[in-house]
Amino acid sequence: MKSKPVILKVKRQDTPDSKPYWQTFETPRKPMANIISCLQEIQRAPVTADGKRVNPVVWDCNCLEEVCGSCTMLINGRVRQACTALVEKIESPVTLEPLSKFPVVRDLQVDRSRMFDNLKKVKAWIEIDGTHDIGEGPMMPDAIRAKRYVLSECMTCGCCLEACPQFKAGNDFLGAATFSQVRLFNLHPTGQAQKENRLDALMGRGGIADCGNAQVCVEVCPKSIPLTESIADIGRQTSLKLLKDFLSK
Amino acid sequence: MSLSTRDRTHFLILKLHSLTGIFPIGAFLVLHLLVNSLRTVGVWQYQLSIDLINNLPFLIWVEILFIYIPLLIHSLVGFLIIFSSKINLKRYPYPRNWGYTLQRITGAVVFFFLIYHLGTTVGPKLINGKEHFEAAPFLIDIMNREFQTVTGCLLYLVGIVSATYHFCMGLWSFCVSWGIIVGPMAQRNAGIVFALFGLALTALGVATVTEFSLDPIPVEATVGGGAS
Ligand code: HEM
Ligand code: SF4
Ligand code: SF4
Repeated sequence: MKSKPVILKVKRQDTPDSKPYWQTFETPRKPMANIISCLQEIQRAPVTADGKRVNPVVWDCNCLEEVCGSCTMLINGRVRQACTALVEKIESPVTLEPLSKFPVVRDLQVDRSRMFDNLKKVKAWIEIDGTHDIGEGPMMPDAIRAKRYVLSECMTCGCCLEACPQFKAGNDFLGAATFSQVRLFNLHPTGQAQKENRLDALMGRGGIADCGNAQVCVEVCPKSIPLTESIADIGRQTSLKLLKDFLSK
Repeated sequence: MSLSTRDRTHFLILKLHSLTGIFPIGAFLVLHLLVNSLRTVGVWQYQLSIDLINNLPFLIWVEILFIYIPLLIHSLVGFLIIFSSKINLKRYPYPRNWGYTLQRITGAVVFFFLIYHLGTTVGPKLINGKEHFEAAPFLIDIMNREFQTVTGCLLYLVGIVSATYHFCMGLWSFCVSWGIIVGPMAQRNAGIVFALFGLALTALGVATVTEFSLDPIPVEATVGGGAS
């Protein structure tokens, strides 16, 4: 059976500072193909639709099962992972672009360090190291564990930031993923020791008050993390802290 | 960390913006629409309410402190917020993103409407020194003429709908951003309640415009004789 090839329009960029340009590729339509397997086809035979031999397209990927977040890109203009973008289910020709709000490294590969820097700013971890053995942690109620489990599924993919109207390449908005991680670690019995510091980091430039409640983040999160609930919950935590600071400092 | 770091100031300004939207500006909007809708009950009742307001002690100071300054702060920060975002409705046309985008647009519409509204009512009132019982006939005369043209009516309808939408959408986002409503169900239900409240406010405004437009009645000053 001969079926029509998959047409891929790829936005390419050779270096972080050079001008982007578009190239069109055609790859054979195979059953169960996803965007990653199409990109692998291009890697094997990097020839454009009009027969020109070019450098293979560069992209990021790792787990291939939507838990690492590294293959996040704009597919037909919408942010999502390339691994779960099945060719049969998306419109052809398919346009592939790098994320627009992170610096491009090359072609579809971007630098998402900003997300990890943001996690550092809010101490998105649990401090257990000390000069002495601090012993066993307290028990965690099962309801809290269940709540935290959902939040812990965040893979730092950046979908929620790419689609957020308040998150821009040049500004310092921390974004929904960061807010949700603060909630995750503030819910932890041991993590609560750093609660005030985490909230402090969110009560500043680019923090929780910069969120405009457009709620696009929750629509595009591939892990269905209840981001808008996290945002409101962090809103509540910061409101209470504001009141407390106001009355007791 | 101390209360007054530069970072905290940014946060506090945004919180102040949010708060001023509800109180005093939002509260004033509700009161204003409510009082004006007295016109649909009768012109006498309406005039009485204007008389009452214009005989309040320290009126101009109350207005400056509780309306003009908060409104100016809210508008200034509002425009800064608008210019710091990147609207992306085309790519991500979800209902809440529509709500968010319209919230920005109506904020700007209300700002320009208010310039017109104040410039044609309070402005002339102050310039002509129409105080106490002289204010009502002066203002009612202006409104009677305003609503005789289709453009005048349309202008006010756009202004009123923008303001009620902006306010009721704002009530919802205020409740979310201060953490008053948290879960998805609570957010959805509150959205419905605020939408109904918005519709009621809009109905009040539209009824008032309609009444003015269909039945312009000139009045004389309640106390002190001549109208102008
Ligand atoms: C009738 C007058 C107005 C009322 C009653 C009003 C009320 C409100 C309320 C209640 C909020 C919600 C605050 C929150 O989300 O926490 C809000 C938000 C907002 N207002 Fe106004 N407002 C008025 C006029 C204006 C004007 C003239 C502007 C100027 C552009 C403006 C711009 C904004 C913006 C941009 C927001 C969104 C803030 C955010 O979501 O972060 N508003 N307003
Ligand atoms: S609610 Fe809107 S503004 Fe806030 S983080 Fe999500 S997408 Fe961005
Ligand atoms: S919250 Fe969801 S969309 Fe945002 S980074 Fe985490 S997994 Fe991705």
